[in-house]
Amino acid sequence: MAAIAKQKTRGKKNRRENEGYAFILPGIIYMILVVGYPIVYNFILSFKDTNVQNLAKGTSVFIGLQNYKELFSNPTFLLILKNTFIFTFGSLVFQFTIGYLLALFFYKRFTLAGPIRGLMLIPYMMPMAVTGLLGQNLFLQDGLINEILSWFGVGALPWLTSTATAMVAVVIMNCWVGIPFNMLLLISGLSNVPDDVYEASAIDGASKIQQFFRITFPLMKDAILAVLMLGFIYTFRAFDLMFIMTAGGPLNSTDVLGTYSYMLSFTQYQFSKGSAVAIVLFLCLMVIGILYLILIVKGEKDE
Amino acid sequence: MKRKMVSVLLSMAMAATLAMPVLADDAALTELAPNDKGAEELTLWHYFDASADAQAIIDFCNEYNQLQDAVYINPTYVSRQELMNQYTIGAVSGELPDIGMVDSPDMASYISLGVFEDVSDKFADWDEIENFYPGPLSSCKDADGKIYGLPQNSNCLCLAVNMDVLKEAGIEEIPADLDAFKEAVEKTTDAEQSRYGFAMSAVSTEEGTFQLLPWIVATHNGTKTSLSDLTAADAATGLDVLGGFVANGQMSPECVNWTQADDYNQFCAGKAALAEIGTWHLATIADDVNGAFEYKVALLPTGDAGTSSSTIGGENFGICTGCKNVDEATNFLKWFMSAEQEAKWAVQAGKLPIRSDAEPVYDYEEEGFQMFLDEMNYALARGPHAEWPSISEQIYTAAQKVFLNGESAADALAAANEVIAPILEANPLPEQ
Repeated sequence: MAAIAKQKTRGKKNRRENEGYAFILPGIIYMILVVGYPIVYNFILSFKDTNVQNLAKGTSVFIGLQNYKELFSNPTFLLILKNTFIFTFGSLVFQFTIGYLLALFFYKRFTLAGPIRGLMLIPYMMPMAVTGLLGQNLFLQDGLINEILSWFGVGALPWLTSTATAMVAVVIMNCWVGIPFNMLLLISGLSNVPDDVYEASAIDGASKIQQFFRITFPLMKDAILAVLMLGFIYTFRAFDLMFIMTAGGPLNSTDVLGTYSYMLSFTQYQFSKGSAVAIVLFLCLMVIGILYLILIVKGEKDE
Repeated sequence: MKRKMVSVLLSMAMAATLAMPVLADDAALTELAPNDKGAEELTLWHYFDASADAQAIIDFCNEYNQLQDAVYINPTYVSRQELMNQYTIGAVSGELPDIGMVDSPDMASYISLGVFEDVSDKFADWDEIENFYPGPLSSCKDADGKIYGLPQNSNCLCLAVNMDVLKEAGIEEIPADLDAFKEAVEKTTDAEQSRYGFAMSAVSTEEGTFQLLPWIVATHNGTKTSLSDLTAADAATGLDVLGGFVANGQMSPECVNWTQADDYNQFCAGKAALAEIGTWHLATIADDVNGAFEYKVALLPTGDAGTSSSTIGGENFGICTGCKNVDEATNFLKWFMSAEQEAKWAVQAGKLPIRSDAEPVYDYEEEGFQMFLDEMNYALARGPHAEWPSISEQIYTAAQKVFLNGESAADALAAANEVIAPILEANPLPEQ
């Protein structure tokens, strides 16, 4: 009798397990269609020689890794790869540090902290296209930035017309957008640190600096990791900002993988090469994604 | 709750400003008349966005819809960049309008991509096609001579001259060769008044190439440079002069970010004494200069005296693959590009006609239009070539290397030649 009952529950349990699969099925189908299919299609396209001459005729053939070989021996592509990393790390460093400092500041509950925090979100709410246009005008030869610099006796910089400074201008505009975003996420991270830990440490005689490095920082590790991770992904696949602000110029100095892939596919109709660039972008992000997963899993094991 | 309402309202206001079309600040356009007759609707996509041509396309469609009952032409404005994306995507997905406007040098690529339909048989017994100028018409054909649409308007580039500044600088005559031009630019530059001698567009798009080409394919010492040999003896002369302008502060380095509208605006604002402008600017130049100075239009002094060079621009209208009613769509094109309509269009939108029997009577800027018509004799068509965008990229890249990095014009063009030569070897440019 007991055995039968046990069998029954097991049967029931199994059925429950299968139900679970049914529930995730819509999600999986959606992911396969909307995410999986384009990625696989893109992979296949990047191994072919599809271009303006043979797309309509359908005579493109597989050429293996030829597109990738050509890309990695092309100095323009290597420059663009370098640009992408400079843009990403440049943006991340500044928007994270400034965002973190602002988060610590605005976490203090002083008068007007809330409204000011809200106002600071405006750059983040602005569509990137608007930010790009704004940047274009701010950094003109006789634009506002040069005007302000001249008050301090600094001569006009050729911001967007020099290959040396254009990237700096783009990074500044991106930080302007990224700082409030970082601040917002880090504030919510801060609020997860319980107050009693601070009280206990204060009783034990910990200084403010010790509190920050021994309590705030370690307890916020997950939030910080998430912010950096999201920031990296957002920044690495940037497109609209430079597309509007500089169109990747001058002389590819602000071109990143996103804009270059677009240019190859939609301006020069070298579809396969454009796909190959997109795949390089994808692989870079995948490596970072896996790294993040490893860190998370390791963190969970440690606990 | 109240705060939420305010933020919702604010974001709605923001969204609304974004959704507003570029045309909104222009004087209100006459609207497209509705399809009262219930005729079959054919969609037409265009990127006319200057006030004159944006109005003209609506007027012309209204007139045609009134004229016949078979179809209703519905023109839709799509920004140029977006339109190009849509054609490229449409080449794969098949979602295309019935009739599509395209910049003439891009047509060859789209024909190759299968965006446009071969309508040679519809034009086979239409003898008016003989009257079309061969340059613009060739951009509607593929290598086998099959025809995919018709050119609708053409334009080229000339030199705009601020006569007041020229006289102030003690120059009596408008420069007619490269040496005189160089001198004029030098003498009219005035840093104190923040005025440059010359303005042009060298932006990293087709617009930049359009304006740069005349200086490259110019005639020096009796020899005209060809795009297929950019390493020839005098090929770099023009670009070298332009590079000198930037280096000497006679032309703003911001030209690498300027579109043609920007360099035209610099001229109208008196910030450039000389500028490279297009035919279509004549429709608005009197208003934009607004009596601030006397201006004239002249042939581009790109080389030897008595010679000039320019680039042919213009738009074509093609019948898109999958067009609902090819017969009626071609009928519309035959009417739209008839001698009478062409002449009307040229005057209303400030363009040049694409057929020899169209005789526009310009009631403004007559001299200017005549100069552009003369310049057409020296103007070069870009392509047609399916890989024109790749050639184009090399041209503006070479110029930007000279302007921004101070590279020598000969080196920059030699680097461009390394990419362009193999493309042209595989598929040569047509003779012109």
